[in-house]
Amino acid sequence: MKGFRLRIADCGVLAVAMIAGTSTAQNAVRPAQRAPAQSAILIRNATIVPVTGPRIPNGTLVIRGDRIEALGPNVTAPADARVIDGTGLFVYPGMIDGGTQLGLTEIGSVPGGEDTQEVGDFNPHNVALTAVNPHSELIPVTRVNGVTTAITSAEGGLISGQAGLIDLMGWTPAEMAVRRQAAMVVSYPSLGGGGFGGGGGGFGGQQRSESERREELDRRTRSLRSYFADAKAYSDMKGRVATAGGVRKANQAMEAMAPIVRGEIPVIFDVTTADQIRGVLALADTFGIKVVLRGAREAWRLADTLAMRKIPVIVGPLTSVPGADDPYDMTYANPGVLARAGVKIAFQTSDAANSRNLPYNAALAVAYGLDADAALRALTINAAEIFGVADRYGSLAPGKVANVMVTTGDPMDVRSVVRHLFIRGQPVPLDDRHTRLYEQFRARPRAQ
Amino acid sequence: MTTQGHGRGAKGQGERRAVQMLRLLTLVTASIASIVSVAGGQQQRVATRDTARVLSYPIPPAGRLVAITNATIMTASNGTIPKGTIVIRDGKIAAVGANVAIPAGAQVIDGNGKFVIPGIVDAHSHSAAEAINEGTQSITAQVRMEDVLRQDALGLYRELAGGVTTLNILHGSANTIGGQNATVKVRWGLPADSLLFQGAPPGIKFALGENVRQTNRTILPGQERRYPRTRMGVEELLRDAFTRAQEYRREWQEYERGRKTVKRGQAAAVPPKRDLQLDALVEVLEGKRLVHCHSYRADEILMMLQVAKDFGFRVASFQHVLEGYKVADEIAAAGSGASTFADNWAYKLEAFDAIPHNAALMAERGVRVSINSDSDERARRLYQEAAKAMHYGGVSEEEALRMITLHPAWQLGVDKRVGSIEVGKDADLAIFNGHPFAPASRVEMTLIDGRVFFDRATAPTLEYLMELIRQKQGPRQVTEVVP
Repeated sequence: MKGFRLRIADCGVLAVAMIAGTSTAQNAVRPAQRAPAQSAILIRNATIVPVTGPRIPNGTLVIRGDRIEALGPNVTAPADARVIDGTGLFVYPGMIDGGTQLGLTEIGSVPGGEDTQEVGDFNPHNVALTAVNPHSELIPVTRVNGVTTAITSAEGGLISGQAGLIDLMGWTPAEMAVRRQAAMVVSYPSLGGGGFGGGGGGFGGQQRSESERREELDRRTRSLRSYFADAKAYSDMKGRVATAGGVRKANQAMEAMAPIVRGEIPVIFDVTTADQIRGVLALADTFGIKVVLRGAREAWRLADTLAMRKIPVIVGPLTSVPGADDPYDMTYANPGVLARAGVKIAFQTSDAANSRNLPYNAALAVAYGLDADAALRALTINAAEIFGVADRYGSLAPGKVANVMVTTGDPMDVRSVVRHLFIRGQPVPLDDRHTRLYEQFRARPRAQ
Repeated sequence: MTTQGHGRGAKGQGERRAVQMLRLLTLVTASIASIVSVAGGQQQRVATRDTARVLSYPIPPAGRLVAITNATIMTASNGTIPKGTIVIRDGKIAAVGANVAIPAGAQVIDGNGKFVIPGIVDAHSHSAAEAINEGTQSITAQVRMEDVLRQDALGLYRELAGGVTTLNILHGSANTIGGQNATVKVRWGLPADSLLFQGAPPGIKFALGENVRQTNRTILPGQERRYPRTRMGVEELLRDAFTRAQEYRREWQEYERGRKTVKRGQAAAVPPKRDLQLDALVEVLEGKRLVHCHSYRADEILMMLQVAKDFGFRVASFQHVLEGYKVADEIAAAGSGASTFADNWAYKLEAFDAIPHNAALMAERGVRVSINSDSDERARRLYQEAAKAMHYGGVSEEEALRMITLHPAWQLGVDKRVGSIEVGKDADLAIFNGHPFAPASRVEMTLIDGRVFFDRATAPTLEYLMELIRQKQGPRQVTEVVP
């Protein structure tokens, strides 16, 4: 139910696209993203699920500018509000995907669009936001399913680069950024060749003997440790030189590592096995790193440890098969074990084209033992807390950024659909490459 | 879930599960060792004698007389029965309905609070196959999937745990004509021969587009590109192959005619040379072998339809068929089925116009659509994939269910046997703890021919593994505490 003004604006863009003679030329960012209008939007008669507070049946939520102004059972409607009737609908905060390559990839097999993997093992100075394409066709496809915010980063090597936390709307990468430098991404070395998705081993590794692979693992682990040691030394030395009034030649990579070894920016460790997690814990002990584990399908083995040490885990993708020697339901059941032990969990898809399936990852976890409310927190507030933006993101509360979805039901239920979507208070048209093609060919005259 | 009537005590179940877990652990250790890499990155598993031995564990006996009671039964053909009973006799559905008496002596499965659906049929699988592509030539109609099936493939067990009971095991898409399929029932753990779906019509895998052209393949120095490199070349190969098949058939027909009319004292004609490749294609021409054609773009789908029309055969199913929604009328008019992904897209150029509304739009235009996995992972949760046809394009609940049961069964030519819960059909069933499309639902039990092949109550789950560790090593070791 778009506003009149919005529809006019949409037509304008469509017209321009038609003149340009291509359906793909449409900007992924639509005119809805004009400078925030200050008039209010009011959603009433809906079941409001704030996540951080009790459900409000028959509630009202007011958005003004880019923020949530008010919500509750009895909210006075502002005189200037555009009203959305939420009868039979549900209001949730937008969901946050804890791991994607959104904006860094377009078509998997076409190298020209791929900025997901840099050459070399150590690229801490590479900032994902530099290469995020705000006009990727994948971005609207993702957000129309209620995923409004995502971690995006390169992958591979040992230190893959810096992940950005982005809202899935904006004319420029800077506009999309919630946190330009949300976390450093480390692909923790693994033995490799240990079966399907055995943690980055790849098939090349399988032809080598176990002892060769162990040697390689040791070498890479030492290499990673010594890199952190260098970074620590660089950071310390820089401080001392500065105190003495001197200047030291800057090293881009080491500069990028400094806030990491000072524990100011978290490090996402992509891991699979319990062995890898133990390695990460040892690294964290030595260098005082703020650790976030990601993937971590064997984290259940260390659930109590992770709870005690308050190490959060971004689980997923659950749409992966467990290792060959794992119980059949391990990827599905792992999140529930972690949450029950008191570990803070969030979800990732580790995808771009199908980041939209984030809530269905959570559904699989619920089917295999994760509490449904805990799953909803994992999709929203927990992710916001992990990346230090819970004051602005992750739940419906006055003063928070208005990333809001209005749905026909539980977002984890595949049968539910999003009816209205707001990112930073702006109504987002629920169309994308897919709905456009759908409408186009639905209108095809019957073939003879 | 537990079953009553066979008197298996709790202890017996626990032991059985422990045996299963140990067996699973041993088995998979063996299979890790046997995974080797081959050129082109395709995985291949090599059988070892060890795995065969480990597998000799008892499969539950065939349910001669079984009753599933008080369950919500989603038949896929005749709506949903809110509180019904299914009676299974000798592996077949003997009765289904709201007022069905439980026969004396039946093994009773209490379906209270549970949902029963037909066993899921996956029309595109590579599970259990030790080899996928004979990629040296582009026409390899002579090679057969049934020669390389492994009954102990882990994927099979995990698919059972996702309610899947029938698979169309296909070659890969390296070749224009890849080879002969194997339609199987997921009788995991029984000897490999038991996998084959007896009575299922034979099929063959065709493929079009990027994979056949080897578009995304790195050609090593000194290596020559394989023909074809264009979609035109793919068409030419098909026409050439079927022209050869027509001529081969004519030679045989002439020979047979001559043999019948040979007079006493005359020398018999020499039979034509047997050609295993063309034998399979002649079966296609005669409508005895179903064509399952991997395809993406609308143009190549139309090309395939034209080739099929010119040579007088029907394409049983277009596989993937990601742009099928663009030519749905043409597919429907040809009487072909369409077996697609729920929402997979953008992984290559020919998948960039893929839309998740594909299934719904094709169905709206009269195509019989199935949702397939093409993956051991997606196959575990095809029920979730089917629900996406409701999410995108709004198909009905029953139509979404048919997309993973009755429609794929029809595409494989086995819809008289499986795909819906009807009297006389095979008792292939999946029992969920809730509505199969609801987020908190999972498969509790899977039956094939009335026999329980998966039961979560006795399955090696993570929870059970944790309990084993707790008992053997103490509670601290379960979720180990590292200070």
